[in-house]
Amino acid sequence: MSIRGHCRRGARDKLQFRRDFRTLRVRHVLFVALVLSLPAFLASCAGSHSDRVVIGSKNFTESLILGEIMAQQIEAHTSLKVERRFYLAGTYICHQAVLAGRIDMYPEYTGTALTAILKHNAVGDEESVYQQVKSEYERRFGLTITPAFGFNDTFAMEIRGEDARRLRIRTLSQAFPFARQWRAGFGYEFMERPDGYRGLAATYGLHFAGPPRTMDLGLLARALKDHQIDIAAGNATDGLIPALDLFVLEDDKHYFPPYEAVPVVRRQTLREHPEVERALAALAGQISDEEMQKLNYAVDGQHRDVTQLVRDFLRAKRLIQ
Amino acid sequence: MNVFQFMMQNRGQVLELTLQHLWLVGISTLFAVLIGVPLGIVIAHRPRLGKPVLAGANIIQTIPSLALFGFLLPLPWLGDRADRLAILALTLYALLPVIRNTFTGIRGVDPAVIEAGRGMGLTDSQLLFQVELPLALSVILSGARVAIVISVGVATIAAAIGAGGLGEFIFRGLAMVNNQVILAGAIPAAVLALAADLGVGWLERRLRPR
Amino acid sequence: MQPPGTERPIIEFRDVSFTLPSSLGGMQVLSGLNLEIQQGEVLVLLGRSGAGKTTTLKLVNRLLLPTAGEVRVNGQVDGDVIRLRRSIGYVIQEVGLFPHFTVEGNVSLVPKAEGWPRERIGARVQELLQMVGLAAELASRYPHQLSGGQRQRVGVARALAADPAILLMDEPFGALDPLTRDELQREFLILQQRLHKTVVFVTHDLREALRLGSRIALLETGRLVAVLTPEDFLHSNDPRTSAYVKAFADGLDPMGNRGDS
Repeated sequence: MSIRGHCRRGARDKLQFRRDFRTLRVRHVLFVALVLSLPAFLASCAGSHSDRVVIGSKNFTESLILGEIMAQQIEAHTSLKVERRFYLAGTYICHQAVLAGRIDMYPEYTGTALTAILKHNAVGDEESVYQQVKSEYERRFGLTITPAFGFNDTFAMEIRGEDARRLRIRTLSQAFPFARQWRAGFGYEFMERPDGYRGLAATYGLHFAGPPRTMDLGLLARALKDHQIDIAAGNATDGLIPALDLFVLEDDKHYFPPYEAVPVVRRQTLREHPEVERALAALAGQISDEEMQKLNYAVDGQHRDVTQLVRDFLRAKRLIQ
Repeated sequence: MNVFQFMMQNRGQVLELTLQHLWLVGISTLFAVLIGVPLGIVIAHRPRLGKPVLAGANIIQTIPSLALFGFLLPLPWLGDRADRLAILALTLYALLPVIRNTFTGIRGVDPAVIEAGRGMGLTDSQLLFQVELPLALSVILSGARVAIVISVGVATIAAAIGAGGLGEFIFRGLAMVNNQVILAGAIPAAVLALAADLGVGWLERRLRPR
Repeated sequence: MQPPGTERPIIEFRDVSFTLPSSLGGMQVLSGLNLEIQQGEVLVLLGRSGAGKTTTLKLVNRLLLPTAGEVRVNGQVDGDVIRLRRSIGYVIQEVGLFPHFTVEGNVSLVPKAEGWPRERIGARVQELLQMVGLAAELASRYPHQLSGGQRQRVGVARALAADPAILLMDEPFGALDPLTRDELQREFLILQQRLHKTVVFVTHDLREALRLGSRIALLETGRLVAVLTPEDFLHSNDPRTSAYVKAFADGLDPMGNRGDS
């Protein structure tokens, strides 16, 4: 009797608890809320990169090369571990990632920062755009723009090298009298953008032989080489420029906005690791337009391994051992 | 090196992205429950409001997730930070299952029990907290379970707009044409969804009224 | 049974009508109901389905409000409805026990809501279980572990928990098998002898009405047709009452007796 009574009491207590648990909604809600917010605590602990930096990059060759350059430079000159998060899908993604602290830095372009992130009009020369981007990034986002790499990946009006030498022209203004004889080929974006063909034609008074042909970017250089077109709009650091002996006419009226490549770094990261700033500063002005063209071609045209390419490049520049 | 070796080697990153993913899912599900359960209670007691509310939530669910992200991007405060945006979108997606199941769960309570309770002199809030909610709990949880599983999936897409999480591995892997990286994001995401489904499902069964 | 008219009736219906809202059909369920229920009596509301018996019952604890006329309980028309309901026991046919509460949890609902101290509640539950003929061990069981008859006993115990003066019962034994029903009816009579509650009892079964009621109120399509003692009901010449009696003829012995009372 006593044993059965004891067992019955135990069962009753369990049932009692279950009943109370089920009717005590507050306790239940708090429990679930705690479970759901647990990752937040864990994430914030894991998020602070104490002994490492995370470098991001966009998903095209030039950005990958720049990201690798930053990575190897920091690895060589600091004791920090570097984690690479390349191939992020675009400007917005990279910007969000560096704002949220998921990456510490990534290579950006001043013109892109000005128009796509800060949403200003694309006006100004290299220096004023750099300064404007630098100060607004600092103020609005707490992000530091360290000194530029040294090249300007802006729009490039390309002609065949032989034509440039024969006609002895170097600038777009000088091209004006010859333009009427040229057939032009542009990519879709350049045709559509207000700061593309339309503005260019207006600024330099350029009129070509017939309407410009619209074609895929990748085909433009070939078409130029094969005399199907006489002038094309590409990127200033395109690897095919030296490879195919193409010449970039100088934008003497500064129509195209500057797209100087710069590292964008979290201020917090620089504060925690001042050695990073020194390492990045050493890269300032180290890459010219031509050098970037050659690097791009090495990867895209010659299919060289990015890591090895960058190591050789930095060694040649005596930036690393 | 196979996928699992890759994940082990990069376990820091895998863990970090998984936690980010959990954070996105957890916080948005919490919001969805905080908004959806009371809303579900209201329409369960006022069925005439039920139609527009459920229709509204249904419309939101019908919008493809990427499209919803696209709609929300231009918004002033929210569009500035991708994780805020993602959390809002995830919350919106989670609303329908939570509201609908709360509605069904409460209306599924035996009317005789409600009548007896009311006749005995229980107040509306006593009825709600002592009778309706405990008896509807299992069904409400099942709505939360659906919400969580949906969220894990949509959160994967949120990486496309920069919100982080396991989708970042997937998109980077696609750009790199690297299967290991893709799977390093896809596998944990799938495991998360399954674990949530099984875990909450177990809880539902425990709380089902006899 | 108190002789009528010597005291103030505990429940009064004055010219009460009840019409359904137009969204539910707009039908008039009750018209011009005048009825007085005395303290301590068992008033049976008798009638066929749809006569308005349940509606009348629900007007007492204000689950429904009259569309015309007044319903007075203890002389009051308005007042706190929660207080009112807690002072009235309510037993329905489906029983409506909370499936996630134990028997003890169900029975102690109103005392708990009223803030009784723990020991008093525990003792009261034991007392009630004994009163309705349930073994003490059943206190920790859940409703789904009980039989239909046991469940309704719990329902009665729950209704009596806070010792209300009035008990409303809506076909409480209708869903039970005849043997169990008979048993519970007998026990009801014994309990009523002991407790002297005022009971308003709804049924469509004349035998049950004759057995349990001190007066029978016959309702037909929303109107009160007759209020008679069981004997008077049986021997009345009113065509409506005699029609009812005829329908139940085989259940009654030639002398019109109603089992034991």
